[in-house]
Amino acid sequence: MPPAGEIAQLGIIGVLLLLLLFYGGTMWMSVVISRRKENADGYMTAGNTIGFGISAASMTATWIWASSLYASVTAGYTYGVSGPIHYGLWGALMILFIYPFGKRIRAVAPKAHTLAEVMYARHGRSSQLMLAGSNVLGSVISLTSNFIAGGAIIAMLSPLSFGAGILIIAGGVLMYTLWSGFRASVLTDFAQVVAMLGAAVVIIPAVFFLAGGPSMFTAGVEAGNVTPEQESFFSSDAFMNQGAPYIAAVLAYAIGNQTIAQRLFAVREDLIKPTFVTATVGYGATVIGVGMLGVMALYLGVEPAGGDVNNLMPQMVGTYLPVVLVALAFIMIVGSLSSTADSDLSALSSIVMTDIYGQSVGREKANPRVMVLIGRITMIVATAAALFFATAQFNILDLLVFVGALWGCLVFPVIASFYWKKVTNAAFTVSVLAALAVFLPVRFTLFPLTGAWGLVVELLSVVGIGVVLGIMAFGFFGLRPAVIVGAIATVAALPLGLGYLRDFETLSGSLVAYAVSFLVCYLMSVRSRQDFDFAVIQQVTGDFEGDDEAVGAADEIPPTGAAEPAPAGR
Amino acid sequence: MTALLTAYVLMWPVLVLGVLVTITGAFVKDVR
Repeated sequence: MPPAGEIAQLGIIGVLLLLLLFYGGTMWMSVVISRRKENADGYMTAGNTIGFGISAASMTATWIWASSLYASVTAGYTYGVSGPIHYGLWGALMILFIYPFGKRIRAVAPKAHTLAEVMYARHGRSSQLMLAGSNVLGSVISLTSNFIAGGAIIAMLSPLSFGAGILIIAGGVLMYTLWSGFRASVLTDFAQVVAMLGAAVVIIPAVFFLAGGPSMFTAGVEAGNVTPEQESFFSSDAFMNQGAPYIAAVLAYAIGNQTIAQRLFAVREDLIKPTFVTATVGYGATVIGVGMLGVMALYLGVEPAGGDVNNLMPQMVGTYLPVVLVALAFIMIVGSLSSTADSDLSALSSIVMTDIYGQSVGREKANPRVMVLIGRITMIVATAAALFFATAQFNILDLLVFVGALWGCLVFPVIASFYWKKVTNAAFTVSVLAALAVFLPVRFTLFPLTGAWGLVVELLSVVGIGVVLGIMAFGFFGLRPAVIVGAIATVAALPLGLGYLRDFETLSGSLVAYAVSFLVCYLMSVRSRQDFDFAVIQQVTGDFEGDDEAVGAADEIPPTGAAEPAPAGR
Repeated sequence: MTALLTAYVLMWPVLVLGVLVTITGAFVKDVR
């Protein structure tokens, strides 16, 4: 164990050996399933028939990313015992609340590859590009954030520089994802989720007992390290500053993220519910559990190294655990960022393959070989772009929170388009742009939230609360209960919100985005004479080439080192 | 309060272990 105040180092050799073990293992898995000629549809959705074990592991691994672990620890340290709940629970519900809509989307477009592709079939090019554009923005930012987290942890636990760290991480992820795309991403997710969850099971109790066990709580209170608000499980401070903005983002992240949509299209249709429920529990338990390290740091009176709360997790692990467990924590962090980064690469490649190349030449004329090549080039370009952004001085997490709120403009128009025949392309496009036009000045306080403008924003925010809760209820219970829930929520929030919500511009920005997109989309659609036939979507979307499994079974590459060719169907 | 906080901290790794066993079992089943 290191002396007090020092963080255990793994050294260059230690870090390189761990990275070689991790990326060597994932590369081996990728080679085992690789094919000389990858199927274009398999490259994007793995044949639409993935089983429960692989899909649940993949959804869990994809949603747990390095930033979620860091942010949960920060929430625990900042807001006390309820902090990790107000980070992890709402993040978990993003997965849960999408599955009812996912079942509907899958029913109307069983063989689609991206959500934007379905929007093209439903509305046309402008709606498709709006959704695809927001997906690309989110995935590039997420990819960048994961590279930054990797570079930072390598620089912290070894003498290697941040620049060397991001290059190693980017190279490792690209290496095992490039050839087989989504299939490699999904299969390696299983190994990564075992590493992550296994590490969490060991590390959380180990830090707890090695840092003093239950006595840390009484000692922390006596030393004045925690405030009564931080001791409370029902902290209003934690709810308003951490929880509420995330509740508003629950649906936005689910709709705006192609990594979720890709798994919705990939898993066997009857396994959508168990997959997403399991991933909800897996994500929530892991992220909230790791957040307990922040709660412990608070009670122990730990000061973040360099005053940066992002250092708290490696600091707690490196201070209290022996080197073997520090290595395990390192693998947990590398696993979390790699599993999300490979999913982002797969998401980006499928968007460019389907929504740019596939739609520009037409499904019948698309050349599957060219398509796979475009997917691979996209991955290389995206990796280079993320490396560039990682070395620039952007605040990536702030950017991602901003994009998450931006996605709020899309939620109602996208969801309504899958259920309501009357929603037109004009209603979709105008409602999203109108919501953007109101969201931006509120989010960045371009005009002070006072007087009449402040009142308008608060009224829209109150409507936004009703819209968010109404859509959530709609997914599970249908239209009538959703209208009742939305109406009750709006009326109940009215006296509470007026004169109060204007103090929370991040939350208000998200809520007005929901409200404006709902009001404009509804008012433009309710009188529309369009009677859209949802069967059209299935005709417009679909496979770009023949049966995935038939191609794969006949064309496997044997694992490296195998003396005999692998049998068909390996 | 100490007992409650201890249980609160330690319940999460137990829950994670449950998910890990579920996913691993299902994965093995998928492969077989």
